[in-house]
Amino acid sequence: MTAQLLLQTLLSGVLIGLVYALVAVGLTLIFGVMDIVNFAHGEFLMLGMYASFWGFALWKLDPIFTLPLTALLLFAFGAALYHAVIRRIIDAPMLSQIFTSFGLMILFRGLAQYLWKPDFRSVDHTVVEGKVAFAGLQFGLPQVVAALGAVATTGAVWWFLRRTRLGAALEATAADREAAALMGIDSQKMFALAWGIGAACAGVAGALLSTYYPIFPEVGSSFILIAFVLVALGGFGSVAGAFWAGILVGIVEVLGGFLWDPAYKMVLVLSLYLLVVWLRPQGLMGKA
Amino acid sequence: MRRRWAWPAAGAAAAAAAALFPLLVARPTWQNAAILMLMTAQLGVAWNVLGGYAGQVSLGHAAFFGTGAYVSTLLSLKLGVSPWLGMLAGGGTASLLALLVGWPCFRLKGHYFAMATIAVGEIVQALVNGWDALGGAVGFTLPLAESGFWGFVWGRSKLPYHYIALSLLLLTLLVNWAVARSRIGYYLRAIKDEPDAARSLGVSLTRYKLYAIAISSFLVATGGTLYAQKELFIDPGSTLSTSLSIKMALVAILGGVGTLGGPVLGAVVLTFIEEASRIVFGGTGRGTDLVVYGLLIVLIAVYQPAGIVGFLRARWPAREAEPRGAGARGEGAT
Amino acid sequence: MPSVSRVFLAVAALCLAAPAAAAEEIKIGVIYPLTGAAASTGLELKNAAQLAADLIDGTDKSLALPLAGSGGLPRLGGAKIKLVFADHQGNPQVGATEAERLITQEKVVALAGCYFSSVTNTASQTAERYGVPFLNGESSSPALTTRGFKWFFRTTPHDELFVQNSFEFLKDLEKKKGVHVKRIAILAENTEFGTGAAKLQESFAKQYGYEIVGKVLYPPKSTQLTSEVQKLKASNPDVVMQSSYLGDAILSMKTYKELGFLPTGLVANDAGFNDSEFLKTMGKDGDFVISREVWALDLAAQKPIIAKANDLLRARHGVNFNGNSARAFTAIFALADAINRAGSTRPEAIQKALRETDIPGDQLIMPWGGIKFDATGQNEKGAGIIVQVQGGKYVTVWPFALASKDVVWPLPAWDKR
Repeated sequence: MTAQLLLQTLLSGVLIGLVYALVAVGLTLIFGVMDIVNFAHGEFLMLGMYASFWGFALWKLDPIFTLPLTALLLFAFGAALYHAVIRRIIDAPMLSQIFTSFGLMILFRGLAQYLWKPDFRSVDHTVVEGKVAFAGLQFGLPQVVAALGAVATTGAVWWFLRRTRLGAALEATAADREAAALMGIDSQKMFALAWGIGAACAGVAGALLSTYYPIFPEVGSSFILIAFVLVALGGFGSVAGAFWAGILVGIVEVLGGFLWDPAYKMVLVLSLYLLVVWLRPQGLMGKA
Repeated sequence: MRRRWAWPAAGAAAAAAAALFPLLVARPTWQNAAILMLMTAQLGVAWNVLGGYAGQVSLGHAAFFGTGAYVSTLLSLKLGVSPWLGMLAGGGTASLLALLVGWPCFRLKGHYFAMATIAVGEIVQALVNGWDALGGAVGFTLPLAESGFWGFVWGRSKLPYHYIALSLLLLTLLVNWAVARSRIGYYLRAIKDEPDAARSLGVSLTRYKLYAIAISSFLVATGGTLYAQKELFIDPGSTLSTSLSIKMALVAILGGVGTLGGPVLGAVVLTFIEEASRIVFGGTGRGTDLVVYGLLIVLIAVYQPAGIVGFLRARWPAREAEPRGAGARGEGAT
Repeated sequence: MPSVSRVFLAVAALCLAAPAAAAEEIKIGVIYPLTGAAASTGLELKNAAQLAADLIDGTDKSLALPLAGSGGLPRLGGAKIKLVFADHQGNPQVGATEAERLITQEKVVALAGCYFSSVTNTASQTAERYGVPFLNGESSSPALTTRGFKWFFRTTPHDELFVQNSFEFLKDLEKKKGVHVKRIAILAENTEFGTGAAKLQESFAKQYGYEIVGKVLYPPKSTQLTSEVQKLKASNPDVVMQSSYLGDAILSMKTYKELGFLPTGLVANDAGFNDSEFLKTMGKDGDFVISREVWALDLAAQKPIIAKANDLLRARHGVNFNGNSARAFTAIFALADAINRAGSTRPEAIQKALRETDIPGDQLIMPWGGIKFDATGQNEKGAGIIVQVQGGKYVTVWPFALASKDVVWPLPAWDKR
């Protein structure tokens, strides 16, 4: 087993880990602002994939070019979902919130099957085909572009939260809802914003994945467990935590699967997660 | 006075209705639906001991359910042990597993605990799936041979399964009730509502949570044995999946968390929605059943966050609770 | 008086005929995964089964199969077949529940389905409890016919035969092409289908004198298959034997290409590799994949009814038959044949007729010797074929006697296609 092979596997893990991170960033943002765990988050990813797919199937639009449009579409969807449903359960107990988002998950999967059939779909041609090879290492261009896109989007969210007034208002609401409201921040708007951004992140991840991953109504289920792990591992509500946790989990999954047994790659990831929260219950970067 | 007796009276009426049901309704499909409701209700009530009274939301209870199913099945297939003994052994094993899992996990609070239990459930499923001695991904098929009471297998008759499921549910309710009234229940509520005050009063949080998870997992495991003996086939996907764990929580939430009868009502309603939407729309192959099911869950959760029990209590706070409550539950049992 | 008695007789005859008229519809319950991860396959199966029933009920005699176009079942007074579909969602308990509902509520005379071996297991158990015939057309777990059931029949061959086919093919290939295959690596998803196939592959490899150099199991619907492919690559096999469903099949092929992995041959175990979506998505990269199959359109060269049946399905749903849907179609015909010969809807009569089933191969759209059940209920005349993707189509390459094209071996490099 050469060092090169290990390096190749490690970097592959980083690439997929960055995409995981983007999915989790949206989830953790929603949680940080409103303390709600969104079980339907994987379905935002699914909708992002279908948006890309239909753009391609109907108008031959490349998923990469329609990416901003997908982000906008999902942003609107997330915000609308907030106004239609989530707004009504803000003060409900944690369990009812879980119940609601679980119902939404089933509903969206059912709708996707109802509207678009249960078939597996794929985007056959994109601008990102082929390989990147250097120093004896090789990576698929779609995977590399997906990872770079994920980093850029996560960075944009980070910048928005830290460097804009609106982002600061969102963070203030996350830190203390009442205090922020007293300072004149409309918490309803902030919540809708969080859902919009959260959905858009997952949607962008979906669009990026659509260049190489099959698209089907239940595709969200493959990613949601990992997203949950990242959010808890990184610390509920911590964007930076989710990001680093994504890279860590990607590496553990791919490299661990390679060195041990791929059948147990999720066992490795979940055990790592349990170990970390056992030692540090608030997660890697969460507030104690 | 009336209010005090309304709920117990409704409960007794529901139990009587459930006991008479298979004698009055001959349709096997309906009888089967009733058994499914009873089995689901039992799981919800058992889940409620930990999730409702102690406020620890577990989304990994399928691990205990599967333990019950696997232990009794293995004992009966390999050693010829009666599934009734297997049921006790399964319960005991599940309790041990629960203590093992609970001890580290109870350090975690709220969502962190819920996430950790999902992780534990997924790990157990993956391990069993790859473990040949436990049947691996193929699972176990129990022989279909009418074997009477000790063998725990009946051919066409649904009555034995119905009454076993009902007894198991009543027993689980009884345990739940006893726990709620005992010192353990008192401390559990204190832990749930005022964890800091409870701690400052010297209540050992972890110890009482461990009691709760041991009892809860034992009861869930007995449900697992019943499942195995009824369906005569178990595999990781059907007895250890996270969706099953979520379902146990769902029925409790739907009915009313931390109430005795809530999970029963929740199970009745949820099973009814599930079965009806599948029977009516399932054959179309367009996912319509999922749309209806999902939509109903969302509507109930949004408009009735306190669950069905909360709804009934708000609607009939004192006087009228007696007849209506009984009616709602009696209907439920069908 | 004679006229009166004649009227009386006529009335009596009408009265007697009335129940027969009511029974003019013969209900068959069909259970498939119509929601959930396998819903798209479930729908294909449903469409194919419905086509079979409509052909029997209709009067279009253009398809030269017995019963096709006979306007119902002749020996039951032209009674029409009505398929009652149910959804098992991939859940064994739901399968059993639906089987019971179909039997007791819908009063179906027989059951068919369920594609998933795990669900076929529980649903057929319900049928056994009620004493209703269950005909399985497309589940391949060998264990299903070892349960000693009296009401369970299976038309499709099971995995033991299929896996053996793959090895016979390799042996024949070595002889014919003078190639040398030694090292085999297994890649399989780790549910019942994949692990079962992997075990059989291991035991047959020993029997046929091949060396298993790697066995990689992975969880289905993985988000990435990089570690799996790296492990395969490290084991340096001549041939990869793979069992994957569609999504994983596509992702694994893309990962092979990404990581520059290319064995001499890729011999797949049906499922995801035999799917029109696989061809469409993979394009040139899917070419030259070899897979075991039970049906291929190019068999029409020797069996014209295959093309005819395929045209009928195409006209209706715009898709070709595949191994799964052709088997679902065949199962309904086999069941209808038995019910017709039984001349009755009594379960015992249908069971007896099923036991006596002997449909010759030329009356099937399958490349089988026919349908004849052994004591366990397994069709002993089933057979498998091996197909290869060539020019974006599945062509039969083995048995060599049925082959329409010569097998391409070894796999050409990714960039030379």
